[in-house]
Amino acid sequence: MRLLSPARRTARLLAVSMVAASLALTACGAGSRTGAATATKVACDFTNPAQPTTVNVLAYNSSAVDPYSNTMVSSCTHDNVTVKHDPIDFAGQVQKTTATLGGDTGTYDIIETYSFVVPDLASRGKLVALDDLFAKHQATYKLDAIDKSLRDAMSYNGKLYGLPMQTQVLTMVYRKDLFAKYNLQPPTTFEELRAASKTIQDGGDMKYPLALPWSATADISTAYKATLNSLGKNFVADDGKTPNFDTPESTKAFTEMKSLLPYMDPQVTTFDQPKVQQQLYNGSAAIGIMFSGRMNDLVQQKNTKLYDQFAFAAPPAVEKGGKQYGALSVDGWSIPFNTKVDQDLLFQVIAASVSEDASKASIPAAFPARTGLDQSASPYAAAAEAAIKGAPPAEAKPWVPPITSATTDIIGSVILGKTSVEDGTQQMQTAAEKVLAEQ
Amino acid sequence: MRRREFWVLVLPSVIVMFGFMLVPLYRTVRWSFQKVEYGQPGTSVGLSNYTGALTDPRLGQATLFTLGLTVVVTAFCLFFGYILATLVNQLRRARPVVLGLILVPYVLPHVVGGVAFSWLFDTNFGGIFNYVVNGLTGGALGDPLWFTDVWPNRAVVALNVIWYMLPFAMLMILAGLQGVSTETLEAAEIDGASPLQRHLFVIIPSIRGVLGFVLLIFTMDVLRVFDSLIPLSPQAVAIGNESIMLYIYNVAFREGAVNLGLGSAISVLTILLILVLLYPSIRNLVREAKAAA
Amino acid sequence: MTVDLTPAEGVRPRSSLALSEEVATGKPRYRRSRGRTIAVVSALILAATCILMVAPFLWAAFSSVKPTDVAFSNPPVFTFSPTFQPYVDLWQTTSFYLYLINTVVVAVISTLVALAVGLPCAYALSRYGGAASLVLLVLALIFRALPRFAVVLPMYEISKSIGIYDTRVALAAALIAINQPFTIWLLRNFFAEIPRELDEAAMVDGCTRFGVLRRIMIPLMGPGILTAGIFVFLFAFQEYLTAAVLTDINAKTVPVFIATQIGQNLPLLQQASAATVLLTLPVIGIAFVAQKYLVAGLASGAVKG
Repeated sequence: MRLLSPARRTARLLAVSMVAASLALTACGAGSRTGAATATKVACDFTNPAQPTTVNVLAYNSSAVDPYSNTMVSSCTHDNVTVKHDPIDFAGQVQKTTATLGGDTGTYDIIETYSFVVPDLASRGKLVALDDLFAKHQATYKLDAIDKSLRDAMSYNGKLYGLPMQTQVLTMVYRKDLFAKYNLQPPTTFEELRAASKTIQDGGDMKYPLALPWSATADISTAYKATLNSLGKNFVADDGKTPNFDTPESTKAFTEMKSLLPYMDPQVTTFDQPKVQQQLYNGSAAIGIMFSGRMNDLVQQKNTKLYDQFAFAAPPAVEKGGKQYGALSVDGWSIPFNTKVDQDLLFQVIAASVSEDASKASIPAAFPARTGLDQSASPYAAAAEAAIKGAPPAEAKPWVPPITSATTDIIGSVILGKTSVEDGTQQMQTAAEKVLAEQ
Repeated sequence: MRRREFWVLVLPSVIVMFGFMLVPLYRTVRWSFQKVEYGQPGTSVGLSNYTGALTDPRLGQATLFTLGLTVVVTAFCLFFGYILATLVNQLRRARPVVLGLILVPYVLPHVVGGVAFSWLFDTNFGGIFNYVVNGLTGGALGDPLWFTDVWPNRAVVALNVIWYMLPFAMLMILAGLQGVSTETLEAAEIDGASPLQRHLFVIIPSIRGVLGFVLLIFTMDVLRVFDSLIPLSPQAVAIGNESIMLYIYNVAFREGAVNLGLGSAISVLTILLILVLLYPSIRNLVREAKAAA
Repeated sequence: MTVDLTPAEGVRPRSSLALSEEVATGKPRYRRSRGRTIAVVSALILAATCILMVAPFLWAAFSSVKPTDVAFSNPPVFTFSPTFQPYVDLWQTTSFYLYLINTVVVAVISTLVALAVGLPCAYALSRYGGAASLVLLVLALIFRALPRFAVVLPMYEISKSIGIYDTRVALAAALIAINQPFTIWLLRNFFAEIPRELDEAAMVDGCTRFGVLRRIMIPLMGPGILTAGIFVFLFAFQEYLTAAVLTDINAKTVPVFIATQIGQNLPLLQQASAATVLLTLPVIGIAFVAQKYLVAGLASGAVKG
């Protein structure tokens, strides 16, 4: 009456094969190239902490941000310090940021932030002010070369809360071969954009030539904001009390956005930026507008057979003479208030990642925040600079993220046609008023 | 067995279950009466979370969707699972291979299966579903918007849930078929019953217990569908394809202003719903146990 | 006591029934050919079902070995020169190996402890006829039916406050508790198949209740324990919701990792498909090797159900 042999045999077989497999695979260098062999090695000379310390970095993956996070990992992992960065998509980063800043202890010690969220997070005391650390290490890492206006974009109430690494601006990409075929110029207004799309559509090359990241769970809010800003209005009027969603510009923003729908894939409301990239890679779309950090991927031969057919320009304005359908975002690194790691160490890690050599190496994938760097290698630099010049000024206020959260679903619903524009703007106005009341 | 022995043997398990489940459950009930975020003490708001939840059309929509999905999936899996089980029952040598292949969706993590499933339907990523079906039927399928249109998306979600639940139904019924008495079957055939009649009037009644059990498990599990919706229904909220669990997740964990109190209230309401649906099975269980005792 | 699908005494499988019938009555040709049509149709249905069941996994595997620029292209390409670079990249540039270890460790720990805790309980439930036994079984059923969030969200808070958030221990503990109801139900059904006379005979010979469990029941229950173990292991392996809430970077498991790669750009998306394949292969292996036990486990519930 012993344990019957077939059962025992099976159990043993399973166990042994799993152990064997894992041992064999360790040999293949598991995790040996984290930080990527291509990351630039820069000086990262912090005082070695007494205890082994792990620094956890929260940053999404994109070819623009990766050079900086990889530099952190490869250059600052030495002696007692290990810098770790796990791959995560942008939606994941947003969710984890909320989670890690939610309590007295968090998982991450360095988080990637951008000018859109900095005022809100700073106003709630979630980020560490960096001014003293900045002054202390300014000379070592030549931090004064970081564009002052970009540092201001990551400040709140006069204090710096994020160290800028790069600028991201909405840039337009288009297929130069198709534009040449139809004798088109890069559109400068939405009217021209519609006309160009229609020409390509009628020509039979593509059913839906225009691709925009209008994912109804997140990106569509950025799109609405870009349209509204292009028409000259912010979310909230200058008095800080009245939302602008009931203005004629708000209604016009919706009608203009909806006017583009016939030229876009019907499932455009599921498109985040990687999906728009995929549309362009596949030759399913001819024109796209995305943040500049997504542009370099398009000219890489390993990503697409069309890599040499893309050209770049500044995005169009909604109306002639107005600001572009644009958004300027500054991406950078912040230190969360609840980290247990020494803040001086963390700042040095951040500063190393935006040092001159690292920033230089991130070109052309990214548009560094550091001034005085040679951008000529970048295929889209000229377009990005034009975009920066013509972009609407950012609304750097703490109420922007909460209003965005409260209105994203409504915007999606209007664009999908489920809610009328009238009802939608009314609901947004009410929701925004509620947010402002709680500010 | 003496009572003391019983309690000694049962204690570790009881501690684990009650400690790890009852205590958090109590917490959830407490939270449902508060407005609270993580890491901060909550403020009591009485029943307003419940009234808010019950008057929210989004919850009604989620409940309808989840219940509808449960009914469709259960009906299909019971029907097709029965057919499959009958067919597999007649296999001899091929049985291990066929069973092994059919088990694959059941053993995969649902979220992973959902991601792989979504790639099949996403034409943006070269999804071959449209390609193959149009090829086979000469374009009859057209170009449904699997992720943004309400009913195509429901079809995809239902297909996915059927995909990973069918193996379970099939296996259970297959096991049940082993216990069907051949004497009764022979008698029926002698009496001139056709194959269909044999199935309907002899086999199905004798595996009634199994079918009831499958129904129970399906109700419990499909009602709590969550994992597959993440990759398959990115626009669930907008098109009304949120399941109850996804709604709780969105409200209590994901969305900007974390509303733990409301999420907990919805959890409690869901528990009540599940208890109502489980009641017949529990009553049967108790009755059987009393009869056996 | 072996656990397999050979029918009980007096019950023959339908196929041999049909066969013996055919032989006995000497069915005319046309009926035999109708039997053949049915055989062909059923073979087609089974083949189609098998293909459909593995199709998503096959497609993911397909995409993972294509060169990056055609991996997700539309329209899809079917001829290409395969490459394993995404697997190499996944393995070497991410901590995928760590996630795999986490998943396996958590699954193994929760299986072993769940069995250790569940065995005595299941034994007791199968032998004690009192009201407490019934109440416990019903409660276990209700626990199994609970929406996970009702249990897991407080666990998140508790684990953070006692400092075990994002550890394998916390995740394993949660999974042990969550899978207890299933474990004790399944094991109880297996125990119930063993006649009580065995217990009584042993106790008459001077064995304590514990001794009976240890020396007689467990050896007899070998296949049953293995079955329960395989199920709990699979459930732990498959778990997404609990792992997504209770882990962050240190204890992250593979399903959670794959879910965070849904919105990634192209090369990483292909690595996600490679990860999918790497996760699925061992699980399929288990399904094939331990098939008998999986079926038996479900059967025990059925026959008693």
